[in-house]
Amino acid sequence: MTLRLSVPWREARAPVLQRRHGGGGSKAVPAAATGTSRRSGRARPREEAGLKRANFGEGPGLPTLLLLPQLLILLFFFFIPSLRALMQSVLLSDPFGTNVQFVWFDNFRTLLASSDYRQSIAVTFWFTVAQNVLTLGSALVLAFASDRIVRGRSAYRTIILLPYAIAPAIAGILWAFLFNPAVGPLAQVLHGLGIAWDPNLNPTDALILVTLAASWKHICYDYIFLVVGLLAVPVSLMEAAAVDGAGPIRRFVSIALPMLGPTIFFLTVMNFIYGFFETFAIIDAVTKGGPAGATNILVYKVFVDGFVNLDLGSSAAQSVLLMSFALICTLLQFRYFDRKVNYGV
Amino acid sequence: MGRKVAFIAALFGALALVGPAQARVEVQWWHAMSGVLGDRLNELVEKFNKSQDKYTVVAVAKGNYDEVTNGVIAAYRAKRPPEMVQIAERGYMTMLLSGAIVPVQDLVEQKGYKIDFSDFIKPVASFWSYKGQMSAMPFNSSTPIFWYNKDHFQKAGFDKPAETWQELEKQLYAIKSRGISECGTVLPGDFYWSLLENYSAINNQPYGTLANGFDGLGTEFVYNKTKVVSQVARLKKWLDDGVMQIAGQGFSPEQLFTSGRCSTFVNSTASHGNIERNATINWSATFLPHESDINPPLNSTIGGGAIWVMKGHTPERYEAVAAFLDFVAQPETQVWWHGATGYVPATNRAYALARERGYYKDHPTREIAVLQLSRGTPNENSRGFRFGNFVQTMLAQRQEVEAMFAGQKPPQQAMDDAVKRGNEILRQFEKLNAGKTPEAERP
Repeated sequence: MTLRLSVPWREARAPVLQRRHGGGGSKAVPAAATGTSRRSGRARPREEAGLKRANFGEGPGLPTLLLLPQLLILLFFFFIPSLRALMQSVLLSDPFGTNVQFVWFDNFRTLLASSDYRQSIAVTFWFTVAQNVLTLGSALVLAFASDRIVRGRSAYRTIILLPYAIAPAIAGILWAFLFNPAVGPLAQVLHGLGIAWDPNLNPTDALILVTLAASWKHICYDYIFLVVGLLAVPVSLMEAAAVDGAGPIRRFVSIALPMLGPTIFFLTVMNFIYGFFETFAIIDAVTKGGPAGATNILVYKVFVDGFVNLDLGSSAAQSVLLMSFALICTLLQFRYFDRKVNYGV
Repeated sequence: MGRKVAFIAALFGALALVGPAQARVEVQWWHAMSGVLGDRLNELVEKFNKSQDKYTVVAVAKGNYDEVTNGVIAAYRAKRPPEMVQIAERGYMTMLLSGAIVPVQDLVEQKGYKIDFSDFIKPVASFWSYKGQMSAMPFNSSTPIFWYNKDHFQKAGFDKPAETWQELEKQLYAIKSRGISECGTVLPGDFYWSLLENYSAINNQPYGTLANGFDGLGTEFVYNKTKVVSQVARLKKWLDDGVMQIAGQGFSPEQLFTSGRCSTFVNSTASHGNIERNATINWSATFLPHESDINPPLNSTIGGGAIWVMKGHTPERYEAVAAFLDFVAQPETQVWWHGATGYVPATNRAYALARERGYYKDHPTREIAVLQLSRGTPNENSRGFRFGNFVQTMLAQRQEVEAMFAGQKPPQQAMDDAVKRGNEILRQFEKLNAGKTPEAERP
């Protein structure tokens, strides 16, 4: 372990990088940088980029030094674990690692053949799509509404932002309790309306419940970006439209919404990533993946198979698939939607 | 500056003085007990540490059983395992075949302690021993018993719960239809343990081939061909008729019972502490019911945890471990632990001692578990379970039962699917551990 670690560590040191940069130009930096910086890079004209570089002073030493902490974090918390997951995914091993067999792609084959895994994919699909629509939709409505409020605007915004400050596990328990068919007040309301609500028994109810909880938790995130996006819409355009007789909804739909394009695109990507990876705590607190695997999303299944079932090979194979899936999704989104989105604003 | 240096020097000097005096060997014990049980465990460890001056056991709470297991796996892989770790009964095969443990009986005997291993209550001994040798020290052993609300039963005109499932069903339906309580019973969180596995043992039904796995890793589940199918069908019917409720996430089944909402509850005898403290109702407990055509019922099996000893430590540390395990096995310790927590005393001698002292006169329900565990002679259906990846097969089974509860599939198909998935998982374990248990094992 330590031996393997030491090689990339030495490579990442500043002097070595400096030498490389002398010949190879600035290739290394953009390659390691994330999607966000790629976006901003594209938004700027080329001559401006040259200007920026000049501001850093002599050579690539300082930028490298500034990047180093981030690179090290990536190395230790992303590249090395990813590599280990890749290795583990082709092994059959007992949890203690005393008995390890190399099994090629058996773990993947078993996984893809299991109905359990296919169900998990379907659940994840519906969960993330529903969560995305719900989150963005509500955030848009809230942003539109609070943009029009004059008195107490900041108070409204603070209230809307509050859920973001609540830990996911707590949020999950809150929702589970509110909708608990035996004691939850909101469940009683539903029962009063004649709806046989029972997320402990009914798979659809459970999926609805976790989708609601996950969306509720994430609306504020989308909301912040949309509010800021709305502030960037030129007032002159809105006023001109108002003079032409367009009502507030028409102005929002025809002017503000298209100009929010980049923000909405960015939020869609973020919502998918949130749905894929960060909803773990909510699922764990609300349903534990049940009933009958109805809320067993991919990332939760990785956890259960790895940490509860101690089936490390399968768990690693799942995380490799999940990672490539998320990667492909993000790449596709950037590749095909990027061009249609107006970054001009 | 000068003063600081002097202070640090003095500190080191003091440490150097303290050092040699502290010749006690320190060993770690990672455990999964929280709340009241965690406090009791700490008391137990303190008793041991005070009882002698050579060894110190440090008890470290590492979260729930899953977290303890993962913690010890990570520590073992990093070559820094604790000396002792508490692992739940379901992890038995994983630990046994891990190659990371030292069997306790070997260790204790090698260190010269004379623990009478033949004195352990049979289902306890057979669960934790392999080829006649105890592989882990039974620590917190429990078994499910039947808890009930006395007032509800009296109001409905019954003295106490019936002994058979058939009669009990009538009682629960009567309680419900007369509006005495909202639900006859509540589905336990670990129903697979109490209502399927223990149900099979008590009613003499095989759970898997090869004597429930005792005779080899080639075992296959067979509970889709036994009374378990009609058992899960019965539970489904109770659910549909509102006689049984599911507590669900964010709420414990125990609360539905202790608050008086549901009249009965099948749960571990280890919940004595909690129920005594929280119940606002007039409660009692009795034996788990059995099928009317099975008479006499067999013993139930255990749940809970045992202390495993990890490989890779120095002989002095193993001295300390052996001394502690010997202390745990003492009848006095067992009786104290039994009274403090509700877990069963693991040895016949400890049980006799508790009886002798009249403990059960004041605490009659605490004797039920012992009597239920030790009735009759365990046969291959009731000796316990030897399934690898038992957590994983259980989760697959639970998923299938939930699908049946939701009406997605009929009971027979749900059990067929559970067995099919379970067997695939068992084959995975067999493949990984091929050749590790060559001879059939018979006590």
